[in-house]
Amino acid sequence: MQSASSSNLRLGSTLYSFTTEYHNHDYSFESLIRRIAAENLGPGLEIVGFQSIKGFPVVSDAYADWFRGLIDEVGLELSCLGINSDFGINRDRKMTEDELFDYHVPQLHAAAKLGFPLIRYQYGAGPEAIKRLVPEAEKLGLKLALEIHASHHVQHPVILAFREMYEQVNSPLLGFIPDFGASVHSVPPSFLDFVRSIGVAESMIDLALEVWHAGGNGSEMAAQFYQKAVAMGGDADLILELFPIFGLFSRQDPRDWAEIMPQTFHIHGKFFDFADDGAEASIDYASTLKVFVEGDFNGYMSSEYEGHHWTDADAFDKVRRHHALASSILHKLG
Amino acid sequence: MMHHRVIADNGLKVTSGGCAVAVRLPWYRSLPLSVVDVVSIEFDGRVIDMSNVVFQLEGSSIRLDELRARTTENWFVLDTAYLVLNEKNLEVGKEYDVAVTLAIYPPYLKDLHRVVRTQKRLLAH
Repeated sequence: MQSASSSNLRLGSTLYSFTTEYHNHDYSFESLIRRIAAENLGPGLEIVGFQSIKGFPVVSDAYADWFRGLIDEVGLELSCLGINSDFGINRDRKMTEDELFDYHVPQLHAAAKLGFPLIRYQYGAGPEAIKRLVPEAEKLGLKLALEIHASHHVQHPVILAFREMYEQVNSPLLGFIPDFGASVHSVPPSFLDFVRSIGVAESMIDLALEVWHAGGNGSEMAAQFYQKAVAMGGDADLILELFPIFGLFSRQDPRDWAEIMPQTFHIHGKFFDFADDGAEASIDYASTLKVFVEGDFNGYMSSEYEGHHWTDADAFDKVRRHHALASSILHKLG
Repeated sequence: MMHHRVIADNGLKVTSGGCAVAVRLPWYRSLPLSVVDVVSIEFDGRVIDMSNVVFQLEGSSIRLDELRARTTENWFVLDTAYLVLNEKNLEVGKEYDVAVTLAIYPPYLKDLHRVVRTQKRLLAH
């Protein structure tokens, strides 16, 4: 379903949403793309290189031809390639700036070769390596966007370092991808159902939510929770099962996305659960999308279902509901 | 949900030297072998001595303590690896409770690791 709205926010899907179906071999890379097109869950299509392509970032000419042909045939539009800023491959030390630069270059080339106009990079790249990649991006005609994912937010020191670099470099190729998991109002109900199902005590859940609602830096909240939970006699393994609360969900005010609107190239429309009325249970999509429409955002929002970490719910059903919700809101916003 | 995905279904094969347990990467994307730890394996509640366990992927046989150095080899998310064990007394056609625990350290995330344990009743074949 596509919106009849006049906004330039266009819908799409990321294959990340279908991790359960893909990991389980129910669908291949190709059959997922074909079903997304058939179900009209585009037109934007986002993929994660290291998820979908064996051997990534090495992409042969034949593979790129096959992929571009498939996309043309099914009529989807490539919105974004998720690349990874894997600073911790060597567990004894972080990559140096030179190594980070070298690690990203082939991923940029793969994106261009596959026909993507934009890549998603991650905070681990660091501002300096990204700054050095700008000439490469210019050569390839590729935009580079930092994903702002929980536990970060627009004013987090890690993000501010990139914003400062962007100001200095002033390149139209450098931007951001807000991830709505960073602006939730509550923890998804299905996550709490999951931790209850594996035996996490209500007292531990209450404690985690109390720490989360009090707010603060993600890793500090996790450490604070861990300390208190151990002191209360909680089971160490089950305590760890609650840590995603501090890493996947942040409570930034959705209106704060306006700060980076001119540099926002793409959106990760993160979602988890739906209430009976079709609203997302932990993200206020009406208020959030209003910020982007009023800010004249021009680009795709990938429907990005992430409940697959803790449930095996049907991702196609989830993404259909997300498209319906977004279309309805965009229609009302005009 | 990744909790039931570490052991592949039908994942216990008796071999001439012992047996092999088929395992999957409990994550959404491929990861380098250097960020994967095989933490433990249990057979009918008995903890296996890990010192002789070998990790096999795409024709390579790797000792568990060598995985951490393998920074340039990726475990593709759709591929099955095998844990090869010296369990010599398994009988084809008999069922065993098998549990495998893997730990992964996603290399793009600071201070995060996931420990995932899957237990399944498997028919040796």
